[in-house]
Amino acid sequence: MLVKSKPGLFQRFYVVEILKGLAITMRKFFFGKTVTIQYPEERREYSDRFRGMHYIKSVNGVENCTACMLCPTVCPAECIHIEAGERPDKEKYPVKFEIDSLRCCFCGMCEEACPKDAIKLSNIYEMSQTSREVYDKKFLMEQRGHK
Amino acid sequence: MPKCIIDGKEVEFTPGQNLIEVARTAGVEIPYFCYHPGMSVVAQCRMCAVEVEKMPKLQTACSMAPTDGMVVKTKSEKTLKNQKAVMEFLLVNHPLDCPVCDQSGECDLQDHSFKHGDAYMRTTEDRRTYIDLDMGPVIQKNMNRCIHCTRCIRFGDEIAGIHEMVAVKRGNNTEITTIDGKQLQTQYAGNYADICPTGSLTIKDFRFKKRVWFLKKTPTVCEGCSRGCNIELHQDADVIYRTVPRTNMEVNKYWICDEGRFNYQYVHDADRVITPAVRTGGTLEMSIWKEAVTAARETLKGKKVAVLVGSDLTQEEGKLLLDFSSKQWAGSQAFHFGTPGITSAAQDTPEDKILRRTSKTSNLQGLEKLGYKGFTSLPHGVEAVVVFRGGRAVVPEVKGIPVVGVGVFNRKDTENYAAVLPGQSFAEKDGTVVNFEGREQKIKRAIRAPRECKGLSEVLMMWSNL
Repeated sequence: MLVKSKPGLFQRFYVVEILKGLAITMRKFFFGKTVTIQYPEERREYSDRFRGMHYIKSVNGVENCTACMLCPTVCPAECIHIEAGERPDKEKYPVKFEIDSLRCCFCGMCEEACPKDAIKLSNIYEMSQTSREVYDKKFLMEQRGHK
Repeated sequence: MPKCIIDGKEVEFTPGQNLIEVARTAGVEIPYFCYHPGMSVVAQCRMCAVEVEKMPKLQTACSMAPTDGMVVKTKSEKTLKNQKAVMEFLLVNHPLDCPVCDQSGECDLQDHSFKHGDAYMRTTEDRRTYIDLDMGPVIQKNMNRCIHCTRCIRFGDEIAGIHEMVAVKRGNNTEITTIDGKQLQTQYAGNYADICPTGSLTIKDFRFKKRVWFLKKTPTVCEGCSRGCNIELHQDADVIYRTVPRTNMEVNKYWICDEGRFNYQYVHDADRVITPAVRTGGTLEMSIWKEAVTAARETLKGKKVAVLVGSDLTQEEGKLLLDFSSKQWAGSQAFHFGTPGITSAAQDTPEDKILRRTSKTSNLQGLEKLGYKGFTSLPHGVEAVVVFRGGRAVVPEVKGIPVVGVGVFNRKDTENYAAVLPGQSFAEKDGTVVNFEGREQKIKRAIRAPRECKGLSEVLMMWSNL
């Protein structure tokens, strides 16, 4: 059986409880550790496994990608668009490699599916743009300086 | 009926079947590479070897005829060990280029390697490599991927009737090549790629266009000639990427010719008229349906009309046009056209001993059945012509009188046309076609037509009501 205790007149003023709560707030405010940082000047350390902006890994300026289309196959957001082609020094290479980062959900499945270690997600998390452009192949290859 | 026992299941069979086929009816899959139901059996790849009771060694299921009471074990330890060994041997020299290879996704070697092979390799030696010669416009060869199943050699000898592929050298160095490195001569070259169990022979036209697992498949019928081969159209996002044969033992067995295989290309031709067009001041200008239909009606108004119906249209469209033209244009005459020089089904003869026929449209027989006469020359006193075409028939030359075209046209064909109303090609509509034997077959819509291309019934509805 549920028994409700009725608060007395003194308790119903809440003054003491309010003062108690205020004391906790003041203690944390003046003497506690700050959790925010001064963002553009100060930056947080992220783990190496952080999934940020994509890039295409290349060796001596030649992209690792062979346009096998496994990343668009696994991509749940369907944000990768590849067109394959042929050139003398490489049997199959991506003529077009576009990632629509606005659709991307940064799940990292493309990285996991890639048999050539070509598509990677970097630590870069500052991806705000003033336009809605998709990342094209040139940008993806050069955004980390062919690394 | 005699019975044999496969994996503990009792299976009935008809004498003459081999063990692979019998096992398949029992739902038991025996892996194989070199066997093909349409060609002779060589038992070369050894992949299909199974254990048969009372026989000391493994027997290849493709060359084994079952006997009454035979006990076959396809999952026994001995069989599985053999399959694993064969896979390891084949993969010693097979490059790991599945990401590059067009065959991946429908590759027998890939599937069997996944199912029966080992994930690890014991060899450290270099793989053997070859330099490939050009094999002509249809087939791209990559000998490094070959597993020496010799299906292509047998296809040339037994089906295409031309001995052009050979195996030279021996053992590990065996190379499959054309004789003297010549280009392929046969008109059935595309089948080399279809039967190849690996990516050794692939189609040049399809090279790197699309991975096969993205393609949606529609069973339909080829409109290349009056044979009516059963085909599958593979499309993604309303773009057809390729045609592959569909097995029908009574029409085309497992094969199609190259002309039929690449016939779909006109559907996506940049020069195809896909908006209604009206001739103003000498040039054919893009227009809207209302204006184009009005212009077309004005062109034919009060004149003696000849109706030319392409024999690439379906039976449904043929019947519709027969009813429509007799009501709409009183005193008009309707003819079918299709291939230059062939005006009746009697003139349609085999072009070779395999599949191809001389009538290059799919429904010549059907339109003849409906009562159309073949077009030879325009009857006397005709003042205007209306042409209905499905995209394949060759339009006879009409000079000096106004012409209205309805259907699929190339910009080149429409040089003297007064108006063109765009229609749907064989990949964009449903219907029935009748092949040279009188066999009625369904064609199925594989893709959506370009937005302004309308079906014939809709066009005729607009014609009479707009």
